[in-house]
Amino acid sequence: MYRQVLLAQWNASRQAVLTFFVLGFALPLVAVYFGTSGVAATSGQVGGWLRGAERVGALLPILALFVGVFLGMASWAPDHLGRHVYALSLPLPRWQFVLLRFQAGLTLLAAPVAGVLLGSVTASMAVTLPAGIHAYPIALTVRFALAALLCFAIFFSISIATKRMVLSVLGVLGGVLLTDLLYNLVADSSTSVTVALFQALTTWPGPLAILMGRWALFDV
Amino acid sequence: MSYAIETHGLTYHAGKHFELRELNLKVREGSIYGFLGPNGAGKTTTIRLLLGLLRAQAGSISLLGQAVPKDVHKALALTGYVPERPHLYSYMTVEQAMRYHAAFFATFDREYADELVDTFGLVSDQKLSHMSKGEMGKLHMLLVLAQRPRLLVLDEPTDGLDPVVRRDVLTALLDFCSQGTATVFISSHLVHELERICDWVGVLDHGRLVADLPMHGFKQGIKRLRIARAPSLIGDTPFVILMREQTTADEIWVVRGWQAPMTQWFDGVGAEIKEIVDLDLEEGFVELLRSSRTM
Repeated sequence: MYRQVLLAQWNASRQAVLTFFVLGFALPLVAVYFGTSGVAATSGQVGGWLRGAERVGALLPILALFVGVFLGMASWAPDHLGRHVYALSLPLPRWQFVLLRFQAGLTLLAAPVAGVLLGSVTASMAVTLPAGIHAYPIALTVRFALAALLCFAIFFSISIATKRMVLSVLGVLGGVLLTDLLYNLVADSSTSVTVALFQALTTWPGPLAILMGRWALFDV
Repeated sequence: MSYAIETHGLTYHAGKHFELRELNLKVREGSIYGFLGPNGAGKTTTIRLLLGLLRAQAGSISLLGQAVPKDVHKALALTGYVPERPHLYSYMTVEQAMRYHAAFFATFDREYADELVDTFGLVSDQKLSHMSKGEMGKLHMLLVLAQRPRLLVLDEPTDGLDPVVRRDVLTALLDFCSQGTATVFISSHLVHELERICDWVGVLDHGRLVADLPMHGFKQGIKRLRIARAPSLIGDTPFVILMREQTTADEIWVVRGWQAPMTQWFDGVGAEIKEIVDLDLEEGFVELLRSSRTM
């Protein structure tokens, strides 16, 4: 069953998965483009190189987000089109079918992660690092994998929900944002629930913290 | 007597306008049960409840001896379901759809499936998104027949298909039925279609089961009578009066459950039967609905 579900998801989303693989492979290599090779580079040159590599590295969490969103949504898109009638008429408990879809999505997630790993390792081997600078291909790949997994899990859960449920959640979020905005306008307050919420989510130990901060293949 | 499908007091509301009320349905194992009803009567909703796709607000369902929705997956392993509209994954090919389906059904008969591919004139590497409605209908029928199910649930399987495809699908269904003892539960509003294949019929209207009887009883027991000197007040009758209409001289009655000896009842009340006309199934169906709505 797993094999067939995986094949089905692969057939439905292989072009995007391959694109993500290529992007994952290319981004670490682009970081090298900004590099100044050689052990004799000046500290200014090294600093410029690291900043350039960091700017390119900042694209990796965005890629992780896109990968997670796409694979999460794509896991259920064909079933949504058929109003889940076919899936629900299959002879297995619903939790088991959800698990099969999740496992298949996770397997496909491995392709862009492998792309990042290959790209990072290739990029690391392609340059002679200045003294004091190190390459972190494994750490960067693990971070990318975790970020993509997080986004995949979130959007897999969202897309499995009914339209009514999604609209309810969006309605509550929109209501909170609007109330906060109006309150800040009227009360001229400097404390914003939205900002506090965003900070709580995006700073450690917030769940989205992994997407923030520096994403550098090369660092001191 | 064992039943493939059994419901007790099944109740389901959807919005303000639709309600399935206290539905008590019994489908004998091995029978071909025609589930008739006009559009919007609740046939598809009933089927979705039976298969656990929807949750009933009250009542109980047993499908092949399994409680629904609790153990519905056990029953679904032995059930082939063709929905009103095919919901297969459009990016697959016929071959991929067969492999996918086979992965979930241990009883899937690949040889029979290949045979049906030829019979239906399908092409294995054709994408579902490029197939016509008729081809999709045939593919869905192929998949469920190849499952070799104990129960086939078909929701208007030939609706919208051209006569040639409809004949192919019904022929395949009849072939399958002749091979074993599977129960078939087939919903339709095409009365003539069911007349050919069903041995039992249930009629649903506005969420109520208004008739549940053997097909021969349904076909033979509905008559149109032309009666002279019909009594204005009627007590107990040995038949069910579906419709009563005054013409210039006589009265026209449409009755259900008619048998020849019942003419004596008219003698007893001083009336005279001038004509007895057999109604075909469609006329009987229409009269049945008309009478159920005026009751």
